[in-house]
Amino acid sequence: MIVAALAFYLFSIVAIIAALNVIFQKNPVHSVLWLILTFFNAAGLFVLLGAEFVAMILVVVYVGAVAVLFLFVVMMLDINITMMREGFIKYLPVGALVGGILFVELAIVFGSWAMSPQSEALRSAPVPEGISNTEALGNILYTQYFYLFQGAGIVLLVAMVGSIVLTLRRRPGVRKQDISVQNNRRVQDTLEVVKVPVGKGLAS
Amino acid sequence: MTALPALSLVLPEVLLTVGAMALLMIGVFKKKDSTSLLTGLAVLLMVAAGASLVLDPPAAGTAFGGLFVVNEFTSFAKLMTLLGAGIALVMINSWAHTEGIARFELPIVVVFATLGMLMMISANDFIALYVGLELQSLSLYVLAAFHRNNLRATEAGVKYFVLGALASGLLLYGSSLVYGFGGTTSFAGLATAMASAEAGNVGVIIGIVFVIAGLAFKVSAVPFHMWTPDVYEGAPTPITAFFSVAPKIAALSLFLSVLMGPFAPMVAEWRQVIVLIAALSMAWGAIAAINQRNIKRLMAYSSIGHVGYALVGLAAASTEGARGVMFYLFIYLFMNLGTFACILAMRVKGRAVEAIDDLSGMSKSNPGIAMALAILMFSMAGIPPMAGFLAKFYVFMAAVNANLVPLAVFGLLASAVGAFYYLRLIKIMYFDAPRDAFDKPDFSTRMVMAASASLMIVYFIVPADLVSEAASAAQALTGR
Amino acid sequence: MTIGLGHYLTVSAILFTLGIFGIFLNRKNLIVILMSVELMLLSVNINLVAFSSFLNDLAGQVFTMLVLTVAAAEAAIGLAIVVVFYRNRRSIEVEDINQMRG
Repeated sequence: MIVAALAFYLFSIVAIIAALNVIFQKNPVHSVLWLILTFFNAAGLFVLLGAEFVAMILVVVYVGAVAVLFLFVVMMLDINITMMREGFIKYLPVGALVGGILFVELAIVFGSWAMSPQSEALRSAPVPEGISNTEALGNILYTQYFYLFQGAGIVLLVAMVGSIVLTLRRRPGVRKQDISVQNNRRVQDTLEVVKVPVGKGLAS
Repeated sequence: MTALPALSLVLPEVLLTVGAMALLMIGVFKKKDSTSLLTGLAVLLMVAAGASLVLDPPAAGTAFGGLFVVNEFTSFAKLMTLLGAGIALVMINSWAHTEGIARFELPIVVVFATLGMLMMISANDFIALYVGLELQSLSLYVLAAFHRNNLRATEAGVKYFVLGALASGLLLYGSSLVYGFGGTTSFAGLATAMASAEAGNVGVIIGIVFVIAGLAFKVSAVPFHMWTPDVYEGAPTPITAFFSVAPKIAALSLFLSVLMGPFAPMVAEWRQVIVLIAALSMAWGAIAAINQRNIKRLMAYSSIGHVGYALVGLAAASTEGARGVMFYLFIYLFMNLGTFACILAMRVKGRAVEAIDDLSGMSKSNPGIAMALAILMFSMAGIPPMAGFLAKFYVFMAAVNANLVPLAVFGLLASAVGAFYYLRLIKIMYFDAPRDAFDKPDFSTRMVMAASASLMIVYFIVPADLVSEAASAAQALTGR
Repeated sequence: MTIGLGHYLTVSAILFTLGIFGIFLNRKNLIVILMSVELMLLSVNINLVAFSSFLNDLAGQVFTMLVLTVAAAEAAIGLAIVVVFYRNRRSIEVEDINQMRG
């Protein structure tokens, strides 16, 4: 019980501190890193609550996709050139700090799970009995909540169409590799065999 | 097992979904610019969806395990939304080519936005509400910024997105509290929970307040209206026309079905909030519009005011009030589309103008447009003999019968102040010195203008059919 | 030391407040505003999962998954809009969103 409570306080306090940093950091890259830390801690809270699947989805979707998207845009927009130019070394301490905290936390989570059966007590009974959280969610997501599942699919389609229509532009003058054109090139198109008369050269 | 009957209930949504994907395929694989073709097909889709509602009215019932509800109320609201979206699409088409933003995704995003609105209207569960609302909102953010090389359009997109995302967050936090303290997300389940629970479940009340705040954002009611003028001004004009009708109809219908459905037993708690929002919207819509120079900003404040009047009907919290709101929305739909058609017609030598002073002396240079706009302005001001008067009359009557006399009186005062700037437009058109004549608008724009202006008169003379339609929709909502 | 529902709700409320603070107090950077929105949605998710767990009901977790999906879509659209705004304005500072007033 104590371990579970300690885990709760650890995750929530770190999550709140990280969220504060998301807002108050001057550099958006730091903000993104702190945001990742917040998400990891929230995932920890989800695990304490017995929602493993949602916790894993949170990590995969947010840290894997959304946070990377944020980083990508921050880098692409090149907002503060002087700050961005200083590059990797400057972000190293913060990155290392965030990574280090994450690592220690993960270690503690896995450790407490392996060692203390009391943390089970904090989890309310999984519904329904006898099957895993993922299985239970899967059972209802594709039957009872089929409509919402389809709806979410359409939302993602709109997001895709929307971001493409807003940001994709064909710039003139960019040389791209066009493989079919390369493969279709024939010798006759590019090479010309010229008979050069002796003593006159090519100057015609 | 129950899939087939469910599909007949969701036919309009299925049509729009499958149709939008088919249009996407056509757009992607067609080599030439296919915007006009796709817009035409998208309008056909809206017509088909609307026809499926009119010709073969679905029996009332729920589908997908109670997540989706269909009855006369939802059908009426969906029909209005589809009308608004279809007419706006026609206006978007001619405009997109002249302004050079014709890209084939434009009609497709409009169709997806409309699909989201239909899903909102039929939502019978907070999760379904959220998914529909976000489908609509995300499409609208894209539409606001669609003119992507234009600074003002993209700025409108940024503002709309940030404030809209904040609103979604508030609504979502509210629904999470409702879920937690009410025990379920389903409207039907919540209705029983609310009816049995002793009044004063603080968690649910806070949740409802958050939900109201989020929805008020989406309909641009007053404390949450900040985005409206900028988005209306910055977004491309026909898209503004779309923004001003279809999403408002959907969001107000959602407002009705949430507050008068599951939370009907808690009317004492939420009524004060709605009364406050309605009064503030009416007042601010009337006062802030007076100093506007840009006609699109003026329309933004005008729409804030109209949302206030419609909310008066909601504050009445009766079948009569719901009938008033539905009637109001129908009239508002045509008033606004007609006015935006007139704004679209404001082109001098091929260039769009949007200052109010450009209207000066229009009665001499463009008598037809001036006439239509004058009728619409009279209707907006709520002056008989125009349908706008009846619309206001029904909501105020409902408020009076629900013992909300102060609110009704306040509404009358606000509409008197509001009448000032509508009449000022008429004065500018008819009594000021003429300026450059506007170009002759294209056929579809003229049609929209003429049809909406004549409807304003027709529905004043013979409103009976529309009133009885609105009444049966309201009955389906409240069950009385 | 028992951790009850109230504890989780408190954490969620703090995160929600921070998200709203981030939107309103931030005068510098649009992207940080988008991150604040993500914080708000995260706090909603904590709420939903906590309720789901204490109510012994999976609906809350389904809701959370949908919120996650939609939040990802929202982030994509939001960043796309920020990118097009940046291309026109060459800035994403909040003070520079000032073309329209009134």
